[in-house]
Amino acid sequence: MSKKTARRSAFRREKMTALDYILFVILLGIALLILIPFWNVIMISFSTPKEYADNPFMLFPKNPTLASYKALFMDGSILMGYWNTFKLLIVGLPLSLFLTSSMAYGLSRSKFPGKRIIFFLVLFTMIFNGGIVPLYLIMKSLHLTGTLWSVIFAGSFSAFNMILMMNYFYSLPESLMESARLDGAGEWRIMFSVVLPLAAPIMATITLFYGVAYWNSWYDAMIFLRKAEQLPLQNVLRTIIVESTTNASNASSVSAVGKQAFSTGMKMAAVFVTMVPIMCFFPLLQKHFAKGVLTGAIKT
Amino acid sequence: MVYTLLLPGLIWLLLFAYLPMGGLSLAFKEYKANLGIWGSPWVGFENFKYVFRDPAFLDALWRTLYINIIKLVIQFPFPILLALMLNELRMKRGKKVFQTVLTFPHFLSWIIVSGVVINVLAYDGLVNSTLTLLGLPTINFLGSESTFVPMLLLTDIWKSTGWGAIIYLAAISGIDQDQFESAQIDGASRMQQVFRITLPNIMPTITVMFILSVGGLMSSGFDQIFNLANAATKNVSEVLDVYIYRITFQSSTDFSFSTAVSLFRSLVNMILLLAADRVAKMLGGDGLFR
Repeated sequence: MSKKTARRSAFRREKMTALDYILFVILLGIALLILIPFWNVIMISFSTPKEYADNPFMLFPKNPTLASYKALFMDGSILMGYWNTFKLLIVGLPLSLFLTSSMAYGLSRSKFPGKRIIFFLVLFTMIFNGGIVPLYLIMKSLHLTGTLWSVIFAGSFSAFNMILMMNYFYSLPESLMESARLDGAGEWRIMFSVVLPLAAPIMATITLFYGVAYWNSWYDAMIFLRKAEQLPLQNVLRTIIVESTTNASNASSVSAVGKQAFSTGMKMAAVFVTMVPIMCFFPLLQKHFAKGVLTGAIKT
Repeated sequence: MVYTLLLPGLIWLLLFAYLPMGGLSLAFKEYKANLGIWGSPWVGFENFKYVFRDPAFLDALWRTLYINIIKLVIQFPFPILLALMLNELRMKRGKKVFQTVLTFPHFLSWIIVSGVVINVLAYDGLVNSTLTLLGLPTINFLGSESTFVPMLLLTDIWKSTGWGAIIYLAAISGIDQDQFESAQIDGASRMQQVFRITLPNIMPTITVMFILSVGGLMSSGFDQIFNLANAATKNVSEVLDVYIYRITFQSSTDFSFSTAVSLFRSLVNMILLLAADRVAKMLGGDGLFR
């Protein structure tokens, strides 16, 4: 109730004109265009195949059921994917943060011989890369293909994130590190006990950047991993959705139920289950990513 | 010593960025599995002769440019339009809610989005059911060659417009408010303010974003195409990256040949990016790098 009156007074203060109402309706329409497909996916995952076939416009299932989820988890591949992605994050995130923050702190120190060349080496990876074939052969010669390490290493450093972090470290007062140096602390010691405790905001941002990248990564895993039980969540989802929809011209969301290993309900449940962590972290993600884009994308 | 700080990062760069770059030398070699990248014999430009004679390569090259240019022309104005609309909406909370909803798809992988898209656009999915209800003919979005590129456009606009608007919203919020105030005093309507003040003020940002998109013409949205293509659309969906994937990991594995294609792609990409950066700077923007 109080919420409602607050909103109404906000309306009045800002003087809504006809233009505002038109804009509001257009934007509401756009927002619905984004929301309805997700809603549809989620509701199908909670309904029986028959109910959805009878009424594709169903807003709420009359007899909500967890059958699709049960079947999906019985199949087990999604759980396996979750577990692999979890391993990816648990090992990959600390490694990424270590590689990125040590290099960012090192490069943010005052001039030392070779600094410009090293920074250029990092920058250059943003505009040129060897592509997948040599990387695959090198992963293979390091005996990393077929292990999760190949996926971890391929994604554990990003020049973009490094530069964002470096710019943050530049903004810290040099005198702090200087006094620690006078106390006889080495560079690593200074980094861990002086710099990183002051860097919580940027560490949070970069953790989220790497986290989302690991969560959404699938290409490296598709190339480097062979066994189905090693695949991260996204690849499992891909197997369930894209690869089982062999020919979309006769792919349907309902009629093929039973002919395929995964029913539409199960597919939609798989989509939802893969999406949930992003949804949970979304408010946080939105804030940090917007900050990253604005300070980084154009100005770095 | 500051160098010990750099060491872990440098080792990573060496192993997973610069060794692969060196591995591009394979483009000028004939790959022998037992000799590896470094031991295989040199053959000069031999591989490239075959690359530029491969009709599938040329097709993929043109298709990449074609799809990206269409995307650039049609898709580019959407985030600007959205940013202007969001900015004009005089409703703080509504603005925030809309922005939240519209940026959400950006954070999902194309695999998730293709799951959503395949469901909604299927012949008995929500969109076609709606068309039927309205008495309109249904559209085979996913399984026909003629609708493939429009479908790519549609889904990419759906996924990325909200996120794309953020950069323009930031540019708009940087505009000096005095300009609007004096325009109001002079009796300018809101539409006039949009076209005479807001748009001209964010023109530099628009220019830079446009040039940067031109710089990305060769990077072809692999994730989207790879996950939305299928057997029915395989003739119209093979862009350069899909082609590289196919010849490397699916058909006969001639690593030298695919490395040659890879090198060509990376080089053109780099040249486009650097050129875009140069142009952006010439026009007074910030460019890619400071």
